[in-house]
Amino acid sequence: MISTGNDIISLNAINVARTKQPRFYSKILSGNERSLYDEPQFTAIPFEIFVWLLWSIKESAYKFLKRIDQKLIFTPVKFEVTQLEIPAGFSIINFGQHETEGIDFADGSALKGTIAIGTYKLYSRSLIYKQLILSVVDDNKNFDTTCWGIKSISSTAPDTQSAAVRGFLLNRLQNALGFKDITINKNPDGIPVLLQASKDTGIPVSLSHHDCVIAYCFKLANQD
Amino acid sequence: MTRQEILTELKKVIAPYTTNKEMLANINEDTDLIRDLKINSANLVDIIIDAEAQYNIEIDYDVADKMMNVGTCIDVISERLK
Repeated sequence: MISTGNDIISLNAINVARTKQPRFYSKILSGNERSLYDEPQFTAIPFEIFVWLLWSIKESAYKFLKRIDQKLIFTPVKFEVTQLEIPAGFSIINFGQHETEGIDFADGSALKGTIAIGTYKLYSRSLIYKQLILSVVDDNKNFDTTCWGIKSISSTAPDTQSAAVRGFLLNRLQNALGFKDITINKNPDGIPVLLQASKDTGIPVSLSHHDCVIAYCFKLANQD
Repeated sequence: MTRQEILTELKKVIAPYTTNKEMLANINEDTDLIRDLKINSANLVDIIIDAEAQYNIEIDYDVADKMMNVGTCIDVISERLK
């Protein structure tokens, strides 16, 4: 499958007290996922962050699959994170920068997940900072052609965020990768499409914004 | 409750999660929560929880996943009120 999906959560915008309420998190987490949190490795992650981490993985998986199955409906508890691996020595640090971009998640700071959705099996990489969570999903364990970016912005207005994340992605494609004459449109299903000279490049892109943080990802090609 | 009465109450539930107040004032059953009202998907669970409290009902996410536009929200709430 040629697709990609990402999601960003601003931890400054979540309602911590509400997130901890069973009536809230039970609409996001399955019973198995609640049990997953009991594993000793998760002591480094507060429960509210765990809930939003899984939300971001599930939303990313939904975006990944929506490109393939336009009729797919997002039911968070049916997008089940079956495995989640936290890097050794993990701790949640400050974002501490205006923006960051990368390819792959090779520095070892990303959490690695596996998600089951019906017969589909997908893989995730997530970065957690004190201010935000970023997740990216693929159908391949190998993320080495997945490019991603995170940026803090000053506006929370949806239209401004939307324009900012498009500009952020286009800058990367133009300045770092040499793309010319590119634009981003949404298709009738609401999925972003990267166009070059008004023709679909076939490069899957995903955009996300929440509160004062924005993120993109795109995948250049499959390696396997 | 009639569909119009549910719609009136639903506006109050949705209001804290949209900055598009002009669109909110003029919503109809075709209004899409994310595309038209610019509600962040991260707030959809909040809306479900608030709707449960507003109408004193329970909404499973199996049903809630249909709540993508105002009309389907009213369908779900109206079914639960029976």
